[in-house]
Amino acid sequence: MSWIREGELNLLEKISANILMAGPMPKHVAFIMDGNRRFALKKKLERHDGHMQGFNKLAETLRWCKHLNIPEVTVYAFSIENFKRSKEEVDGLLDLARQKFERLLEEQENLEKHGVCIRVLGDLNMLPLDLQEVIAKAVVMTKNHNKCFLNVCFAYTSRYEITNAVREMAWGVEQGLIKASDVSEALLSECLYSSNSPNPDLLIRTSGEVRLSDFLLWQTSHSCLVFQSVLWPEYSFWNLCEAIVQYQLNHKSIQKARELHRDEQALQQLEADCACIAEHLQHQGNGKPADAQRRQEALQHYTVAREERVQDFLQALKHKRDTFFTNLCSETVLT
Amino acid sequence: MALLYGLIWRLLLALVRIKRATVSWLRVRLRTWKGRFWQRTMAALLLPVPVAEFKQKKADANQSSDGDGDGKGAGSRRSRWISDGISLEKLPVHIGLVVAEEELSFTDIANMVVWCMAVGVSYVSVYDHHGIFQKNNSSLQEEIVKQQHHLLGGDDSTFNMELLKNGTDKPQHFVVSCRPIVKVLSPEDGKHSIVQAARKLCHSVEKKEWSSKDISVSVLDVLLRESKNIPDPELVVKFGAVNSTLGFLPWHIRLTEFVSLPSHKNVSYEDLFGALQHYSACHQRLGQ
Repeated sequence: MSWIREGELNLLEKISANILMAGPMPKHVAFIMDGNRRFALKKKLERHDGHMQGFNKLAETLRWCKHLNIPEVTVYAFSIENFKRSKEEVDGLLDLARQKFERLLEEQENLEKHGVCIRVLGDLNMLPLDLQEVIAKAVVMTKNHNKCFLNVCFAYTSRYEITNAVREMAWGVEQGLIKASDVSEALLSECLYSSNSPNPDLLIRTSGEVRLSDFLLWQTSHSCLVFQSVLWPEYSFWNLCEAIVQYQLNHKSIQKARELHRDEQALQQLEADCACIAEHLQHQGNGKPADAQRRQEALQHYTVAREERVQDFLQALKHKRDTFFTNLCSETVLT
Repeated sequence: MALLYGLIWRLLLALVRIKRATVSWLRVRLRTWKGRFWQRTMAALLLPVPVAEFKQKKADANQSSDGDGDGKGAGSRRSRWISDGISLEKLPVHIGLVVAEEELSFTDIANMVVWCMAVGVSYVSVYDHHGIFQKNNSSLQEEIVKQQHHLLGGDDSTFNMELLKNGTDKPQHFVVSCRPIVKVLSPEDGKHSIVQAARKLCHSVEKKEWSSKDISVSVLDVLLRESKNIPDPELVVKFGAVNSTLGFLPWHIRLTEFVSLPSHKNVSYEDLFGALQHYSACHQRLGQ
């Protein structure tokens, strides 16, 4: 079955959507699509069928999000922890992924028409090479689309993602692109796999579990968390509306908390820059304390230089990541 | 048309807020009414609540209506709390109390801390996203000690807890000492700590002591535990209507169970025990 579902909402759904859209709407929703296996057990199906139903539900949910003007969706498709499952189940899941990404490649026209950009986030080198290649083709094929965005977390955990971001910054230091003192919260965010996306406004987990299971821990620190007991393959438009209402109820207080955090972040950056300036002036100085104007000028220069360094580093990182995908694509061409 | 939708939307949100306030009010009343009839009626009226609020379990035979001063002695309260802890299939080693409300009540949080420890929890973290608890660390400490005496009576070395201030911790050898530990946290202990650890690693790389390839999840994990030295919280009890972690220890909460309570003001022992029962009943598959 296809990734893209056509079809309008029915009248009642349309009216409800219009009512909801009168209030603040999340621009980015993340889903932990939990409950496929319990659904299969409940309906006396094979586990594999449960996962298939789960995929179908994903396609339907994307359609609802499109009608609700939610341009970005991130889903937790496969965790690094899931490799611990039986070989049969893991192979089944990887096979399903292979099928679905290959199907995606066939829908190139449709994806272009709807402007869908697919990104896959995770430690992709943990996956079999042929799956990596298919994923790379899908990502490269859709990378310039910009109407809506689907981020699929595959072979992903948040701790690996954060660690990878730290490793990338360390690589930047090794390459002489940035200094260790340039490391900041903002820079770390830019080094995550999800750097092209804003933080999720709303995180929904189905099946009644009330934990994050190592998903987007950094990005969802100030997101609205909604835990719903429905199993993922049984998710309905109304469940989604319910979650959006929760988001709307929390919107003001979470915005306030986000702004507070942003202000603190800015202050911390300023303090870090001032500390670097103080150290620098101390080394340069002749024992006399620098006057305020000189300090101010030095601070401005330092900040500009730091931001330039960071931009160059981020460009180099983007190039590294793009090359990873294009190399995988060209490998398929050669074989 | 847009105006009409806007009006309906405001009405919808108002209705949901009223329902939430009613549920909160009834939860408190249920505690006092206790009759099965009332419980069934209220359960029928309480339509599915989207937020994870723990389900009120049936009244335990041992549970009395109040945990903090209904005439019973401190000794019998303590033994009841200890037996409650033992009766649970599993107890979290570390509980996080995240207060997502604007006005803070030090007494109520102190009560929660004392109950957690009385029930057998080894580590309790207290957090608010303005960092107010941390700024008033000593007041909170005093309140906890005061409530400890009030609820548990006397000075009992079994519950002689350690109150750790951020940044000045010495390594704890908790194998030797079984004293419960209370930590007061703020947003600085969250993302900012991760950034500091990252900076430290990058400095080592700058000085050519380390290579970027040496940086792994376990290396970062050890570094993040160095100053905090506490296990990951298995359970977070969040107080307030805001459905967010508000920056609480992002790295450490990967497998944490979240239970929401409407408010920390006038919170009861039964509220805490309900959260512990929820935790005890949950089953983590850890990816499998």
